[in-house]
Amino acid sequence: MKAIFFFFDDFGSSIIFLKDILKTMIFRPCSRRLVFEQIWQVTIQSLPTTAMAGFFVGAIMTVQFAMQVSEFGALPYLGGLATSGTIREIGPLLIAFMLSGKVGAYTSAELGTMRVTEQIDAIRCLGADPIQEIILPRFIGIIISSFFLLTIGLIMSVVGGVILGYFFSGINPEEYVRHIPTILAWPSLLSGLIKCLTFAVVLATICTYKGYFTTGGAKGVGRSVVSTAVTTMMSIVVADWGTSFVGEIIINMCKDYFL
Amino acid sequence: MSEAILSNETKGLINKNVIIEAKNLSVAFEAHTVLKNVDLFVEKGETLVLIGPSGQGKTVLLKTLAGLIEPTAGTLSLYHKQWRGLPENEKIKILDKMGMLFQKNALFDSLSCGENIAFPLREKTQKSELEIQEIVDYFLESVGIIHAKNLYPEEISGGMQKRLGIARALALMPELIFYDDPTAGLDPITSKKIIELILELKKKNNATVIAITNDMNRAYQMADRIAMVYQQNLIITGNVEETKKHSNPAVHQFIKGELLGPLNSSFENL
Ligand SMILES: Nc1ncnc2c1ncn2[C@@H]1O[C@H](COP(=O)(O)OP(=O)(O)OP(=O)(O)O)[C@@H](O)[C@H]1O
Ligand SMILES: [Mg+2]
Repeated sequence: MKAIFFFFDDFGSSIIFLKDILKTMIFRPCSRRLVFEQIWQVTIQSLPTTAMAGFFVGAIMTVQFAMQVSEFGALPYLGGLATSGTIREIGPLLIAFMLSGKVGAYTSAELGTMRVTEQIDAIRCLGADPIQEIILPRFIGIIISSFFLLTIGLIMSVVGGVILGYFFSGINPEEYVRHIPTILAWPSLLSGLIKCLTFAVVLATICTYKGYFTTGGAKGVGRSVVSTAVTTMMSIVVADWGTSFVGEIIINMCKDYFL
Repeated sequence: MSEAILSNETKGLINKNVIIEAKNLSVAFEAHTVLKNVDLFVEKGETLVLIGPSGQGKTVLLKTLAGLIEPTAGTLSLYHKQWRGLPENEKIKILDKMGMLFQKNALFDSLSCGENIAFPLREKTQKSELEIQEIVDYFLESVGIIHAKNLYPEEISGGMQKRLGIARALALMPELIFYDDPTAGLDPITSKKIIELILELKKKNNATVIAITNDMNRAYQMADRIAMVYQQNLIITGNVEETKKHSNPAVHQFIKGELLGPLNSSFENL
């Protein structure tokens, strides 16, 4: 019972925190330099892992689809299928998990340490707004760089698909790439982008919130990091379901409207 | 004489010079009440020294007055503005006038010593890089750690960290400065010098100072008024002379540093 209460309490507070961040973003934006710094840091930090993960996702998808698709003699469409699957679902999810492990944990530990060593109070006492100075740049940085990472992950997944497709099922790379545009439709692309945005907002909110409200010394920082990891993973999965669900409804509505 | 002080407290409302006005302030952490119904008025330009046994709530009181801790009850006004519910930009305007030295310094550990002082200057002023460096050098010089400009806080000694914290608090020439134990961990000569620096800077821009110290010599050196935090209360003991002659046995025991007296029992409860 207490846990449920605590959950809703936490959920509500993080929504309020998100509101504060957005309000700050509109009325008291932070300097661009800080945002660029964060984008650079986050992107560089997660680039190798994301690229590698992207490569193997492309490879796995290709191998998996190849087995099934070849029965129907639709092997040439492999590239389109694998890429569309990656962009719609696996890509955004993967990027989100990668980021929550690396950037989420890093950010909440950093902010948590700043909190328990009173550095956040010090910023405030120097007349600066901590949300504007340290939260907002990280928040925006995580969201923007997640799009960069998604793009890179996708390119790498195509590369992985092409290579594996060639060696595993002997598909000509040119053929693999040629069919991507025929299967990859706008809705898939849009759904991928929306998912990516949703996950990034969820991740950025949770890790800054958990870090910012850390209490209780080194142990508290540890707790924040663990709870960031757990909460983001769970929330991302839930958000994934949510966006698919809402997306479905919207697509159906559009169909009724246009057809 | 203590009546004059008392009337100072009651006068607060009508006195234009009062910049901090705390009424019936209570602070509690969950079930643990730290301060209860504290009244305090601080006038512009005065130096108030807070003393009191360890763990009685001096730091909590200081942070509450600086708007960092939300009181659980009572009202706090800073510069004639009710703090609770004040819009953020108004709060920032008031915070701009304040400087604070934290008990554990709260230095930015990812910035070098010089950058720690430059941080507020970059944030809050339009000064050029050259001017900023001049100010940084001036303050590092004043607290005697200019040689550590490019080192990181963790690479300098505890006393040097304290001095860096003081320099950072002063960088924006605040008119209201909170010092949490400015002389802790410093040798007697340095601590005397630091107090002199604090007083000098205070005189320069007629600043108001609220300082915590348990070193009575330093307290006497700087105080216009002394108050003791004890058993959830704030006992305003008056100026140096009045404090020395104060009738409250706990105050008397504390400033004399005697072992026997009412304070003993409170230590056992800690
Ligand atoms: N964030 C907090 N959460 C819970 N309790 C706290 C918190 N901060 C302070 N306290 C409690 O408030 C009481 C007063 O603490 P405070 O730090 O103000 O003491 P102090 O008078 O400054 O002591 P010292 O001279 O040792 O610095 C202590 O009992 C402490 O346990
Ligand atoms: Mg203290």
